[in-house]
Amino acid sequence: MNINRVAKTIVFAVVTSSFSTAALAEPSVEELAERLERMQQEMDQLKQQLKNSATKDEVQVIKKDVATAGEWLQPDTLIHMAGYADVGYTDSESEDGSFNVGTFAPIFHFQYRDLVMLESELEFEVGDDGETETNLEYLTIDWFINDYMVLVGGKFLSPVGQFRQNLHPSWINKLPSAPPGFGHDGAAPVSDVGFQLRGGFPIGAIRTNYAVYISNGPELIAEFEDGEFELDGVEAEGFGSDGDGEKVVGGRLGIIPFSGFELGLSAASGKATVTSIEDGDSSTLSDEGARDYDVIGADFSWHYKAFNLRGEYVETEVGADTGSGTAASEGATWETWYTQGAYRFNQSNWELVARYTDFDSPHNSQDQQQWAIGTNYLFTNNFIGKLSYEFNDGQAGSDADQDRFLFQMAYGF
Amino acid sequence: MNILIWKSVSTLSKRTALLLLTALVIQPLYALDYPEEGDFAQGTKAWSENCARCHNMRSPSDLRDDQWVTSVFHMRVRAGLTGQEARDILTFLQGSNARVENIDPGQVESTTTDSASISGKQIYESNCLACHGANGKGSIPGVPDFNEKNGRLSKSDSELLSNIITGIQSPGSSMPMPPRGGNSQLSDTDLNAALKYIKASFSE
Ligand code: HEC
Ligand code: HEC
Repeated sequence: MNINRVAKTIVFAVVTSSFSTAALAEPSVEELAERLERMQQEMDQLKQQLKNSATKDEVQVIKKDVATAGEWLQPDTLIHMAGYADVGYTDSESEDGSFNVGTFAPIFHFQYRDLVMLESELEFEVGDDGETETNLEYLTIDWFINDYMVLVGGKFLSPVGQFRQNLHPSWINKLPSAPPGFGHDGAAPVSDVGFQLRGGFPIGAIRTNYAVYISNGPELIAEFEDGEFELDGVEAEGFGSDGDGEKVVGGRLGIIPFSGFELGLSAASGKATVTSIEDGDSSTLSDEGARDYDVIGADFSWHYKAFNLRGEYVETEVGADTGSGTAASEGATWETWYTQGAYRFNQSNWELVARYTDFDSPHNSQDQQQWAIGTNYLFTNNFIGKLSYEFNDGQAGSDADQDRFLFQMAYGF
Repeated sequence: MNILIWKSVSTLSKRTALLLLTALVIQPLYALDYPEEGDFAQGTKAWSENCARCHNMRSPSDLRDDQWVTSVFHMRVRAGLTGQEARDILTFLQGSNARVENIDPGQVESTTTDSASISGKQIYESNCLACHGANGKGSIPGVPDFNEKNGRLSKSDSELLSNIITGIQSPGSSMPMPPRGGNSQLSDTDLNAALKYIKASFSE
């Protein structure tokens, strides 16, 4: 009986469906007219709707607006600001402790696609007298010639060694102070004005990086002492003009035989001339001869897990002036080296640092041996609190002999 | 007259609102057409080998995509990197700086099928090894040792997997683990395979 009902249903379904297909297959004229009417109505409705919605032109305008709104996000020119700042406290044996604003050093980057970049760092410092000093630390235009060469022109950090060009920013330097001889007016050149070719290339699995430069070179300072002139210092701070017209050429080659270890060799050679007298009247200078100027340096860095050991040696040698110059004198040699070990505790923000430096200058009062030890707290990898103590050993009574306690907070952004 | 001015002001503000909105919406979608796309896996390696040479490793999440362009070019000059290394590193950094999960279903789906055959070992080696090391001990500071007893791997699989997918920065940690190891092309299945490989190879 059940089956009967199912069969009936099937028959009914088949019959009705065939009827309806028959009806579809042969629509009557009235039916067609009716349908046409309906379509007409729908068309009118659609037209009305279209009027209310955006036209093609309007859509085009909005599209354009959207494109320009996004323009600043995908420009050919990028502008970026980076830099660092530090504040601190220094207490030395012979002086009362004082707070200090070390530096504020904003860096500006302007980049046009992957063709050229302008980088410039300004350095603001508040001196002991409350005056704010401003320095153009560097300003270069970097032209990316190809994958292995970048031409850098302008005032640049000296490529000799590692400290000046790569380690001196306070968020990078693991101690609050520069190693003796690597600061301004020491054994290591600071900056220079000229052109530099930089880049890197692999030799098999070995990475190398290079920098060669030609520049105005440094100027020399003479000093009148005990009845005669002698050399006081080398000012290798990037002079915008070249008094003696003699250029300096130099460079550095870095070799990374395996990841974690780098060895660098640097050299520079040229001429330099006395242009000023320390605490004296520089206008009395005349007929100064261009002296030989030679720098050699070597550096290494080794990372092993959380341990980092690095060291650097630099020697600057200035020849004698045998001419008739006012400040004609013997030559002089500045030499310094440091080794620094740092250990970061596993899974913690604490870091220990120790550094030994031996700076040897032609002036006994500037010679210095230093042990610096420090503890750092890394709030983040670029915001660091540093606490350090320096055991300084120099000529008795000189500044170089005063032990110091330093505290610094440095932030790289 | 008054009405006209009012009308134009209101359409103007509407337009501005629209512009701002679209700008906001398309921001995550924009991509610079230079430099050319680098190789992500090579970039992870080059980054871990080069970017801690002079200073503490800067975390990928420190900077936005366009900011990384200038910083990487800056660093290319400083560190003497080749153009290719710089492009690879940039690709890695731009892929790894996302804080939240990248919602891009199209991308994920399309790669699920063709990368399903890649083994967990292969995924680990080309995406995770640069940071976690071949032995799972971590090759740069801030990366945990997977071999430690009661260490990270003692967490449940589902917790680990979700941390891999969304990224994680534990309190006091100096470096975050980027979402999907920085490679948004990896599907959940791929990451699960990599996790299986990690568990099989490193936990005691
Ligand atoms: C050869 C040394 C060296 C290497 C290698 C190096 N950096 Fe730097 N980095 C620096 C120095 C120096 C600064 C500070 C710039 C300044 O003060 O002029 C810096 C600054 C930065 C900054 C701050 C923003 C900026 O652009 O100044 C970031 C981010 C950064 N580096 C990331 C990286 C990354 C990523 C790598 C790997 C590609 C890297 N660094 C490799 C030396 C290095
Ligand atoms: C850029 C470096 C980097 C890459 C690439 C990377 N990781 Fe990580 N990973 C980390 C760091 C850092 C942590 C620790 C983060 C924290 O806890 O603060 C971590 C943590 C982890 C953890 C433990 C998570 C937890 O819940 O504790 C797992 C599992 C993991 N990673 C798996 C992977 C896998 C799988 C890949 C490849 C797809 C990968 N990682 C790629 C850096 C990386």
